Amino acid sequence: MYLTLENITKVFPSRGNVGEVVAVREVNLEIQEGELVTLLGPSGCGKTTTLRMIAGFEFPTSGRIVLDGQEINILPPHKRDMSMVFQSYALFPHLTVFENVAYGLNVQKLNKKTIAERVGRVLDLVHLKGYGDRAPGQLSGGQQQRVALARALVMEPKVLLMDEPLSNLDAKLREEMRTEIRRIQKTLNITSIYVTHDQIEAMTLSDRIVVMNEGLIEQIGSPVEIYRFPNSRFVANFIGRANFIEGVVLAQKDSRLTVRSLGESITLSNIKREFHEGEPVTLIVRPEMIQIKKTGGLYAGVVRQAVYLGDLIEYAVDVNGVSIIGTETDPHVTELFLEGENVTIGFAEDIIQVLPAGKKTE
Amino acid sequence: MKTTLAIPKSPKVQFVGVTRRFREFSLIFRDPVLFMSLLFSGIFIFVFVLLPILRTISGGFFSEEGTLDLAYFARYFDSFYGPGLRQAFLDTMVMGLLTAIFGTFVGFIFAYASVRCNPPAKSLLHWLALLPTVSPPFALALSVILLFGRSGLITKKVLGINFVAGQNDIYGLDGLVLVQTITFFSVAYLILRAMLERLNPSMEEAAASLRASRWHIFRTVTFPLLIPGVAGSFLLLFVESLADLGNPLFIAGNRTVLSSQIFLAVIGEYDYQKASALSLILIIPTLILFMIQRYYVNRRSYISVTGKPSGAQVTEKDPVIRWAFNIAAYLICAFVILLYATIVYGSFSFSWGVDFTPTLRHWSMVVTRGVEAILDTTFLSALATPFAAFLGMVIAWLVVRKNFSGKEILDFSSNLGGAVPGTILGIGFILVFNKPPLALAVIVYGLLAIFYVLVVGRDTRERLILLLVGTTVGLLLARLEATRVHYLLGGLYLLLGMILFLSSKNMFMSISSALLGLYVMSTNWANAIAQPIANFSRSIERGFWSNAIFQFSDHIKVLIQPPPSLLAILLIFAGILLVQGLKHPLARLAGGILALAIPCAMSFMEIPFALVGGAYIIMAAFVIRSLPASVRAGVASLQQIDPSIEEASNILGGDAQYTFRKVTLPLILPALIAGLIFSFTRHMTSLSAIIFLVSAKWRIVTASILSEWEQGGVSIAAAYSTLIILLVLIAIVILNIVTNRLLRGREGVDLSQF
Repeated sequence: MYLTLENITKVFPSRGNVGEVVAVREVNLEIQEGELVTLLGPSGCGKTTTLRMIAGFEFPTSGRIVLDGQEINILPPHKRDMSMVFQSYALFPHLTVFENVAYGLNVQKLNKKTIAERVGRVLDLVHLKGYGDRAPGQLSGGQQQRVALARALVMEPKVLLMDEPLSNLDAKLREEMRTEIRRIQKTLNITSIYVTHDQIEAMTLSDRIVVMNEGLIEQIGSPVEIYRFPNSRFVANFIGRANFIEGVVLAQKDSRLTVRSLGESITLSNIKREFHEGEPVTLIVRPEMIQIKKTGGLYAGVVRQAVYLGDLIEYAVDVNGVSIIGTETDPHVTELFLEGENVTIGFAEDIIQVLPAGKKTE
Repeated sequence: MKTTLAIPKSPKVQFVGVTRRFREFSLIFRDPVLFMSLLFSGIFIFVFVLLPILRTISGGFFSEEGTLDLAYFARYFDSFYGPGLRQAFLDTMVMGLLTAIFGTFVGFIFAYASVRCNPPAKSLLHWLALLPTVSPPFALALSVILLFGRSGLITKKVLGINFVAGQNDIYGLDGLVLVQTITFFSVAYLILRAMLERLNPSMEEAAASLRASRWHIFRTVTFPLLIPGVAGSFLLLFVESLADLGNPLFIAGNRTVLSSQIFLAVIGEYDYQKASALSLILIIPTLILFMIQRYYVNRRSYISVTGKPSGAQVTEKDPVIRWAFNIAAYLICAFVILLYATIVYGSFSFSWGVDFTPTLRHWSMVVTRGVEAILDTTFLSALATPFAAFLGMVIAWLVVRKNFSGKEILDFSSNLGGAVPGTILGIGFILVFNKPPLALAVIVYGLLAIFYVLVVGRDTRERLILLLVGTTVGLLLARLEATRVHYLLGGLYLLLGMILFLSSKNMFMSISSALLGLYVMSTNWANAIAQPIANFSRSIERGFWSNAIFQFSDHIKVLIQPPPSLLAILLIFAGILLVQGLKHPLARLAGGILALAIPCAMSFMEIPFALVGGAYIIMAAFVIRSLPASVRAGVASLQQIDPSIEEASNILGGDAQYTFRKVTLPLILPALIAGLIFSFTRHMTSLSAIIFLVSAKWRIVTASILSEWEQGGVSIAAAYSTLIILLVLIAIVILNIVTNRLLRGREGVDLSQF
């Protein structure tokens, strides 16, 4: 493993120095060389603190951080051979673009020619050739973002850290930069850790996503694993949307599980967990796993709300007193159900995830 | 790949406060720059702020023989002294209260006019409002007396009033409050202006859209939002008024207030116990007001004063309100101009009240007899200025950016030096540094030496050797005769330079060490250098130049003969920088012992910290008084700089020192320059803190003005005051030009922090 976090815990004194707040709790994480890993979670979940401990701006209260075989727990940031892109970009306002990018090379006292060469190459990479003499204040948000990225990349760091680098950009630019960052990261094959609270950013960028909540890691996996097989209600709810439907296990045979739910029994396939008969469970059903038809579905219900969103239609259907959200994406569907209309719904039985009902809720 | 799920709070996570403090300490320790600045500011503040104040406060309880004696407090309750003392206390409080109310009111008029009423010649208004902050503390009292006194230009010449005993004249509480209001309203103006500028107009617009009338908006939105500012300026003015010494001495007439009582107890009776007892009575209300302002009012503010002005400003649309404020502000301006013009005119008039013909005779007196005081004051003020401003930035950086236990104490006590009445500090300085206890030197040296060996030594054994051998050698050296020891110590630095050169081949460090050696030796040559200059000055005709050149010879001695106990503090830090990089264990041990032994010898030479009578104690008093303003300027500036800018430098490979030099310092340069300007002004105009510290050798202009005044030299006092104001204005202009050159159009210096 290239970068390892072992049982990392960080405790901060709380305001007024009276108590303590556990920001990160016993986090274990292993990152391979060349991989882009995203730390994803709501604000206050400890993702930024984790990143800052990796960077060396905070030191862990307990646990070990190992980079390339060397323990770096309390090594100050300037000795870590990492670089970071900050949420606020943190460009030096008193230096030009060139001087900003050259800053770290100047610290290393490289000769002028090498510096000019390397800065030129990296400015080219982020499409900012010819902007070297500008002051950061004269650039647009997207360009400033590129300078920040260039300044980090020019160091050829062992690990590139990014702390919500796109959150200050508008939606369109964000999409563009997302692809850009991924392109550069792949080109340079640079080990990267990316912090965000934006699930779409995490899904599009990452090799692996680490979902965090309240200082704990909830789940680690590829974007597909995280979306398709969330292992807690929190993860299911944070990435994408989901209906949580209560049920009781009737029988399990290998990967086929029969559950009684909403007054009907339904058999689900591709179930990896083991359940015992009579166990209360929660079905995680994403809106797009629900088919709404006039007739022929498993459950009968009444449309409570129908919202037309252009590329999809969203329904809230009342089934036995439980409100279930479903979406219809087929552009050929000409039949729109009206509020108050009787419909039937069915589940895509092969991709529904089932968790024990006692599982931690959001 | 492991996934850890829902781990309950493990007992490992339950840390006790003590362990955390210890961890924190060891982490700070990994950052020697942080630790060095912390230790240096801590020692400076402890020695020059906390210790003197504590000595003054406790001094009132002990008689000269050192026995517990409450006589001076008991006097407040007896029938002989009691009524007078209680009256003085009451007068002090009334003075503070009235000055605070009127000053805040006038400040509000200025602030509202300037921000909301778009007055013609707005910047003139601004600079006139700031003029009182650059003038000596009693300039306005002097001017008011010249105008409205018993032989005043207006009262006697224009109105023809002949004062008889018992008639109400300008002397007394009423005149005092008038003068203090004009002197201190700038503080209120700056606070309220900053608040008004940062008041988001959309709140008032929201109220207007809810159909509130203008008066209703002011009553329910604008004013409530300004309350913290109003309360803050009220309390600050109260504190300033209580601390003021110059104006009460000039204009209080037969009334006495606490600050002048303290002054008289020292100057008239040489009774330090009485002065200390009175100081305690004065410091209690001062501290209470200061704490309320700091911890209650500031925390309750809805408007962040450190943020940028919110851009869009509403202007007063009702012409009646607008012009009412503008005219009121301009009337006060006219009065301020009149007061200052009077001072200038007073310095040129033959004999005020009798003969107003213009003459240069007072000025010629000032530039001959007074040249010593003027040059001494300017020299010491200027020398202390960069130190004060730089220390202010360092403390601001520690307070804003770093986390450590005791941060609140550092912040509070660095502000304390400017908030407590200067007389109290002055007494404390005399009490502490006249016959300083050896313990003080031991504590200071001990702390520094322990820090030194922790940084320089690599293991416990090495550290112990360094500490013991270094200190022993140092103590032995300190017993030698003074001239010889300076040569010896200088020689040791040359030796250290050679060790550094042989062991690390670091030219810069070895030359630095050699230069330090020459500097230490040069103490012995001070007389040799200064004497010819002094002789030359005697050889030329007595007058301005002979005096000036003679003073110059004294100033050279100040530069090369600092008190050894103070120099030692700097030398220990210098030693760390010099020997820290030595790799070879033997070289490190030898160099380490040398670099500790020299400062150790310095620390215990002669009588450590016996500073009274010298130049350095005056400079220390200057720095303590001006420190709060530069700290505040630095804090305000740092709070506007995103901390991740410094972190960015850090992770790009810059250590704390590189980052401070290349990133932080350039960014807070405007604040640093504001700190320089303010410090110099404050130094040039300070009176209360240094009045007891001036000596025959070191004269200060403000003290000279006071003594001229006491001898009836009104016009000479006016000439001195004019000169101080001129010197300060010249310094401000020069610094402004330098700044504009340096910053080339970047954000300018914001003086409104003060």
